[in-house]
Amino acid sequence: MAAGLRGRRPPWALLPLALAGLTIAYPWMGGGPFWTRQIILIAVLALTVSGLNLSFGYAGELALGQVAMYAAGAYVSGYFAVHGHHELLFGVLAGAAGALVVGIASGVPGLRLGGWSLGMVSFFLVLLLPDILATFSKQTGGYTGLIGITPAHLFGHKLTPHGFYVATIVIAVVWLAVLRNLVSSRHGASFLVLRQSPVLAASLGIPVYRMKLTAYALGAIPAGIAGALFAYLNLFLDPATFAFDAAIAILAASVLGGSASVYGAVFGAIVMQLGPLRSTGFQHYALVVYGGFLVLSGILLSQGVAGIIRPLLGRLVPSSRTSTVAAPAAVADRAEPAPRVPGDVLEVQGVTKRFGGVVALDEVSLRAEPGKITALIGPNGSGKTTLLNIVSGFYGPSAGTIRLGGDDLHGRAPHAIARMGVARTFQTPLIPVSLTTAEVVATGRYRRVGVSMLSSVLRLPAYWRARREDGEEAARALARVGIPERRDQQAASLPLGTRRLVEVARALAGGPRVLLFDEVASGLDEGDLAHLSDIMRAIRDAGATIVLVEHNFGLVLDLADQIYVLVNGQLLTSGSPDEIAAHPAVLEQYLGVKRSAPEAGARGQPDGRTR
Amino acid sequence: MTTVWAGLSVGAIYVLVALGYNIVFITAGTFNFANANLIMVGVFIAYWGLVQVGLPVFVVFLVAGAGVLLVAGAEERVAFRPVKHHDGHLVTSVGAATLITGVVQLIWGADALQVPFIAKNNPTSVLGGRVVPVELWLIGLALVGAFGLHALLRWTMVGLASLAASEDREAASLRGVNTRWLGLGGFALSGALAGVIGPFVGPKTFAFAGLAIALALKGFVAMAMGGFGSISGCVVGGFVTGLVEALTARWVGGTYEDLTVFALLLVILMVRPTGLLGERTERII
Repeated sequence: MAAGLRGRRPPWALLPLALAGLTIAYPWMGGGPFWTRQIILIAVLALTVSGLNLSFGYAGELALGQVAMYAAGAYVSGYFAVHGHHELLFGVLAGAAGALVVGIASGVPGLRLGGWSLGMVSFFLVLLLPDILATFSKQTGGYTGLIGITPAHLFGHKLTPHGFYVATIVIAVVWLAVLRNLVSSRHGASFLVLRQSPVLAASLGIPVYRMKLTAYALGAIPAGIAGALFAYLNLFLDPATFAFDAAIAILAASVLGGSASVYGAVFGAIVMQLGPLRSTGFQHYALVVYGGFLVLSGILLSQGVAGIIRPLLGRLVPSSRTSTVAAPAAVADRAEPAPRVPGDVLEVQGVTKRFGGVVALDEVSLRAEPGKITALIGPNGSGKTTLLNIVSGFYGPSAGTIRLGGDDLHGRAPHAIARMGVARTFQTPLIPVSLTTAEVVATGRYRRVGVSMLSSVLRLPAYWRARREDGEEAARALARVGIPERRDQQAASLPLGTRRLVEVARALAGGPRVLLFDEVASGLDEGDLAHLSDIMRAIRDAGATIVLVEHNFGLVLDLADQIYVLVNGQLLTSGSPDEIAAHPAVLEQYLGVKRSAPEAGARGQPDGRTR
Repeated sequence: MTTVWAGLSVGAIYVLVALGYNIVFITAGTFNFANANLIMVGVFIAYWGLVQVGLPVFVVFLVAGAGVLLVAGAEERVAFRPVKHHDGHLVTSVGAATLITGVVQLIWGADALQVPFIAKNNPTSVLGGRVVPVELWLIGLALVGAFGLHALLRWTMVGLASLAASEDREAASLRGVNTRWLGLGGFALSGALAGVIGPFVGPKTFAFAGLAIALALKGFVAMAMGGFGSISGCVVGGFVTGLVEALTARWVGGTYEDLTVFALLLVILMVRPTGLLGERTERII
């Protein structure tokens, strides 16, 4: 944290720390046992909720069984406490470890399928809890609950109630700081990319499955810590505490505070703890209220309360969020010569792809060279995008080889291929929400330069260096595509033409060995198109290998050095723009210009999407 | 054999839950977490009609079918339609499920209520195992329901439109399929099914507010085992789940039945995440 003070940090950025200090001092300011207990319960709930925020809010995987992780932490530390291990830090670590084990064990299979499967697998844990407790009734007390937990000790000394209070708040604050450092780093940006689109994440070199598992398993840790703290607070564990209602209350608190936020967890926990959870009369209507609230909030704010507050806050106090990239030291705006983008030769040989009985690609070969724009054209359904997806690794080819420079791309996972230097754009730009343009562009660098999570959490030099370089590289790439002034704007709300440029800049940021542009011109007006053409020429002249998949025949003739024409999954012909423009079969197939009468009408529809 | 019958009849309920999931999955392209809660409402309406008011049997079916149809329709309009992104459905459908459970609990309390069967329910012996008629009815209903849904999907225009929409909603709507009405219709159909089977499920499970959670999870296991969107898959998945559960309870012990089903789910997800009869569609972008 200390290193963070180096920057131009506005004074209110320390507000959370000040609040934490005040909270710690509360017992000495006349706080009685009732309220200190309430505050501990808030801290416990906030910890649990913050874990759900990490997996659901940031990585987009709804873990309905967060309460099971909480229970795991409580019972593991409770078991040790009953058996004479009453050191608080040991209990907390044991609880965290117990929850982590449950998280990994349920996450590994749960994440195999997307969407609901993780939610259901983890929710199943809630249903199983009574059975598990009964099975190990000797250790857990079964249905009647676990009794005989001794009060916590710290470094061998028994903690006073005040001491336990302070220890709890400090632990909660430390975890929230860890979480804050994590999500305000490039790992947080990676989670948001993942939430937006796993396909995009993979194409940026982020290993999707491992990243999801990481978020989910990390999210179990604070729940385990919370469980341990709760065990030491209550000194008795009742299985009914960890039931369905609690699972829903945790979800409601997360949504209430805004799932994609750190401090939102505290806000949600305060409201839930002081409101519904404390009043016994409420219990009757709890499910109705929670249910109604979840439906309503799901409709109103897909981003949670923080999604509404943050833009407002952003207007009041600029950059209320810590940026994942550093502001560049004004290097980018100077008219320095653009650095080279050294490309490699992409060689596709005899690639065939079958979807069931359909042959989408039949023995297609092409070669894209550095310093050249290689275009791939053909009517809808001719296999252009399929070929692009094979090169990117999203589909495995049924036959054939793909090589980049000296490396074989065949059979590798998409994120591995991205890391080898294959960068791409998408037909519909994939831009994660709630990131600035510079941050989005910087995600393009993640595949090349890695920073460990530990460095980010502890803010080690590697983190600061990467953050600075991310900012500089993003600024350079944005300058190259001519939109340096968009740096700090929300990328997702830019107009289509600009978002395409952001995608091009993102592809450039990682030092790509080959650039795949997928229908980069569709939906652009004349002005945007001319601008984009200039940029592509400039990138080519800087030495890049560019593969352009396009419908726009005019643009391709104008821009490309080498053109490959695909029809029905087969390579019809290839050649220079002049050769292609004069090729009778291309004109017939692609422009609907008929040649001599006998051959006409032999094959499908002309494509109407040319200019 | 008694255990087998018990397993098959419980499995039949899971098949019916999974059918409801699949109807919505195919027509509306989303997962309705609250489907089991709809069945629970059907069970409670059956209790209300048969015990509390003493309505004639056919009226009970009518009220249950129509009532749950309306609940499901309302759920689609309120909790699904306004939410654009499918991620949002995760929260709203859990919310709808919680809301339904909460309302049911407010009306009928938290205790388990016994629902009488509409006909005589004396145990008989079939193929060397004791079985009560309602269990045979459930097994029959699951098979008829699955076959009916299969027929609907394959042999009617609406069904074919649904299959088209489940492949690619945009393409289907460009071909003139009204995907919004299809979604609402799917919810309504799954609701009607959930209501009508209430008088059969109730005598087997009792009417209680905790019913939905167990059904939701086991129905999900059935669907995951069979493969998302596969009708024959959820028949196989449901019956296998029921059998595994009943056999475990009989030979290992009651506390292990859910654990075994859970282990089964984990194995399926690890070994064959697309389900036994499901196919993965490879197109991503």
